[in-house]
Amino acid sequence: MSTVETAITLAPKQYKSDVKPVWCPGCGHFAVLNAMTKAFSALGLPPEQVAVVSGIGCSSRVPAYTSVYGFHGLHGRALAVGTGLKVARPDLTVVVAGGDGDGFSIGGNHFLHACRRNLDMTYVVMDNEVYGMTKGQASPTTAADWSASKLTPGGPGMRPFQPASIAVAAGATFVARCFSGQPNEIARVLVEAVRHPGFSFVQALSPCPTFCPEQKEWKHVVRPFDAEPTDDPAEASRRLQADDGMSTGIVLAARRPSWAPSSGGASASATTIEAIEAEIEA
Amino acid sequence: MSDNDPGRSLPAFLAHAVALERESAERYRELADVMSVHHNPGAAALFARLAELGELHAGQVEARARGLTLPSIPPWLYQWPAAEAPETGPHEETHYLMTRLEVLRYALANEQRGLDFYAGLARGASEAEVRTLAAEFEREETHHVEVLRAWIDRALTDGGDGPTPEDPDPPNLPE
Repeated sequence: MSTVETAITLAPKQYKSDVKPVWCPGCGHFAVLNAMTKAFSALGLPPEQVAVVSGIGCSSRVPAYTSVYGFHGLHGRALAVGTGLKVARPDLTVVVAGGDGDGFSIGGNHFLHACRRNLDMTYVVMDNEVYGMTKGQASPTTAADWSASKLTPGGPGMRPFQPASIAVAAGATFVARCFSGQPNEIARVLVEAVRHPGFSFVQALSPCPTFCPEQKEWKHVVRPFDAEPTDDPAEASRRLQADDGMSTGIVLAARRPSWAPSSGGASASATTIEAIEAEIEA
Repeated sequence: MSDNDPGRSLPAFLAHAVALERESAERYRELADVMSVHHNPGAAALFARLAELGELHAGQVEARARGLTLPSIPPWLYQWPAAEAPETGPHEETHYLMTRLEVLRYALANEQRGLDFYAGLARGASEAEVRTLAAEFEREETHHVEVLRAWIDRALTDGGDGPTPEDPDPPNLPE
């Protein structure tokens, strides 16, 4: 149970926009959206100090459904946009959101480097192990033998990507896994993730009822990790390697200096294109 | 933890009751919207009606709490019997081709969980004021359950499930 204090000022509903989600009824992404708005409310974040950034895919529609600042970017480039925004506006709370295809396939390299850069922002991946928006192709996290789609007869035949393990190995300092059937627990983890000083990665298992109806069974197999979060990446790796991908909770909460432009990159004061160009020319 | 126990103080109980009703109404509204987006007007209309009734009931519970200072409880510290508030219908039990009867049965299950929640507190709360108010809310939920059962009976009598929603472009699933 969390000991974090909260500062509720706006109701979760006030962080939602008037745009109606087009997600299929039964989609786990609804729960993640609700958890996100509950977390913003619990954190007492003024909407004008929050930005939700995404790429492309079903889950990447989330900026349209929130009333904070939003940027619906290019496929796989959500973390690149989020990184740029956080560097330019370190005062903002930046939450990058998307799906497993967007984040681990076309955006896979950005994921690795966001983890090692450890910039102070949160990345939420709604993982349904499928490209839902384009009608059910296998994604990087799809099981090797998943043959429910005509598009991959016999299954993709490859070992699925292990996002949490890879995040730890790449240097993320906060790694958690949640399940959309437990939205209030996702809200708690998101509060912890946003407050974490560094890159926080949250893998939200979020069933796709349309293309992966078998994922309805996830609610019967998810269970909490049987240990408290560790601050030791080696121990976190060991736990994740021994896990079947269905344990939930915060795995790793470690401290490591967060990268900032003033610590070796470009000048932090250069926050406009003109200023950056002037600095380069000088 | 105990400050949030709905059985131990009237403000904590009412905070739970307000959240229970509000979250239920918001879920119905969300489902009405998404059914409308997915061209299932029958289910959308029913969910919208359930949302209206839920909002009405939430307002009544809030009126009961007027004059009291309710605790501000983070979502994960509400003491619900399951992952979400009892009357909040699970997302995973909905689908885009829901029929009238499926919507009504979904709502009935939600109301039954609400009834069970209040019934448990009406018998088990340590605070007498909570037991009294929980018993009153239990009676209201019993009425809601009866109304829904009557709607289901009427739907069956009036020609069963109504027109079955169709999808001319179904998802690409194997036969």
